[in-house]
Amino acid sequence: MDIDDILASVDRGPGASPESAALDHQQLTRFWIAERAVSEVLPWPAPLMERMMDRVRIQIETIEDLAASSADTVSNSNTSHNPNLNLRLSILQTDLARTQYILRSLLRARLAKLTKHSMHYLVQLASRNKNPLSSASQSQSQSSTNPNTTPEDSVPDISALVDTAPLSGPETSFVHAHQTLLAGHYGGSFLGAFPPQLRRLDDNAGGTSMVQGPETREVVFVRCLGAEVPVFVDGEDGEQDVGVVMRMGDVWVVRWEGVRRAWERGEVELL
Amino acid sequence: MAFPLPRGIIASEIAFLAEMETVTIVPRQRLEGLELLGGPVEPLIPPRRASLPLWLALLLKRQRRANIMPPPWLHPDSLSLILEVESQHQDYKNAFSPPPPLPGQPSIRDQGLAPTARPQYTLDGNRYYAAPPFLPQNTAQTAVSSRDPPALPYHWVEVGNMLLDAASDDLVDPDQIRRLLKDLREVRMAKMRSGVDVLDDAAIGGGGVALTGVGAMELGEERGFLSGVVDGLRKIGASKEQARREQLAEQRANGGYDGTQDEEEDYMEF
Repeated sequence: MDIDDILASVDRGPGASPESAALDHQQLTRFWIAERAVSEVLPWPAPLMERMMDRVRIQIETIEDLAASSADTVSNSNTSHNPNLNLRLSILQTDLARTQYILRSLLRARLAKLTKHSMHYLVQLASRNKNPLSSASQSQSQSSTNPNTTPEDSVPDISALVDTAPLSGPETSFVHAHQTLLAGHYGGSFLGAFPPQLRRLDDNAGGTSMVQGPETREVVFVRCLGAEVPVFVDGEDGEQDVGVVMRMGDVWVVRWEGVRRAWERGEVELL
Repeated sequence: MAFPLPRGIIASEIAFLAEMETVTIVPRQRLEGLELLGGPVEPLIPPRRASLPLWLALLLKRQRRANIMPPPWLHPDSLSLILEVESQHQDYKNAFSPPPPLPGQPSIRDQGLAPTARPQYTLDGNRYYAAPPFLPQNTAQTAVSSRDPPALPYHWVEVGNMLLDAASDDLVDPDQIRRLLKDLREVRMAKMRSGVDVLDDAAIGGGGVALTGVGAMELGEERGFLSGVVDGLRKIGASKEQARREQLAEQRANGGYDGTQDEEEDYMEF
């Protein structure tokens, strides 16, 4: 593929060209492997997923049309009309099933991570989109020892969120509903018997937060795709010490936080 | 329980990925081109060769509608050459034989050249570097174009076994190939096991252990063990790492403090 092909595939707009279908499929496959390989939820690739869902819908319509026409040929007892029809149908259906498998596995992997660390993601979302009003009400509820405090009060309110990254919209509402149910259940089963100040689910008494997030220091397997990619010692911003340097084509076992940036730039691939 | 599988893709998912590798077939019947979700498929016109995803090639092969051209590495000569490099060569005593180069990467023969990554651009405008299984590493090549020495592609275990199962009549001396694949697997598995000694390097921040040339299935087999060991080592060394980090931060702070102190001394002298 040279530069002309790239320009052509960009020019034709979303979902239009067969080449872009191949490229989107490769991206989806790579994203699925990455989502399965790391412990945190990766940023939701909204445009890619919209294109893929559109393609799946169109493909299902194509298959239905083909199946309908094959039923017609059978009723006309004209089987020699198109001998390859059944073969084509089975190929198209296999291809569809393979793509749907990837999509399902991807979504289920994300849901599993979300339910495991639901409070972490809610707190993360709420703290990033913090407006003065909600933070004031939160601190108020924390300071007052209201005897009617319920665990649900500690679930951050995310109804006014606009930017839901790294989650998609439906995932955000799912995780909120899930955590509210869970908090209600905890309250009903045992937290209600506790003193009011111990009923919160986001307590950070003693300097340790009780909200557990995914471990970003776990190792992942990566292949280096850029010419040279350094591994950073710390995942956070600011002064970063460089560890080993990976070369193109190398496969390394490294910490996820050290290559996260490079993964976002597409210079490493998770295996 | 939304998802019962462990972190990292498992063996059946790796085999599923390997089925996306492109192989060359010689069709026995005509079939018009198809627009699949995985990309377009060229029309099949016998006896013209065509490149298809492996799953489609196997589907056609099982229905006796096509013959699969084996990839150049899946040949007794290539495999015994690789096995020799893998087991006899001094440079690869503790490393896997080199994988096929990525696009833009210089081949083994011209080591001096610097690699130049050649990105494509996705529809969202991001850079995209193609990698296995979406590289033509398993297509049949003409003798002229294959200047590189034979190398094991990333999905060699899966592609090799699938072709041995479904298309052994298309291979040259399948029994010999089966034996060589088994030998290769054993040699490489021993290397993987002996590499456990250096795993400590991956447990510190910024460190890593190179596994260049490893196959997908070999990685899948060892994934749980390797990441388990490294995570265990990381937890053991966590307090040491924290202490070192604090020491570094202190040194930085001291450096700044020393600077101001010098200025103060100058001021005092003045």
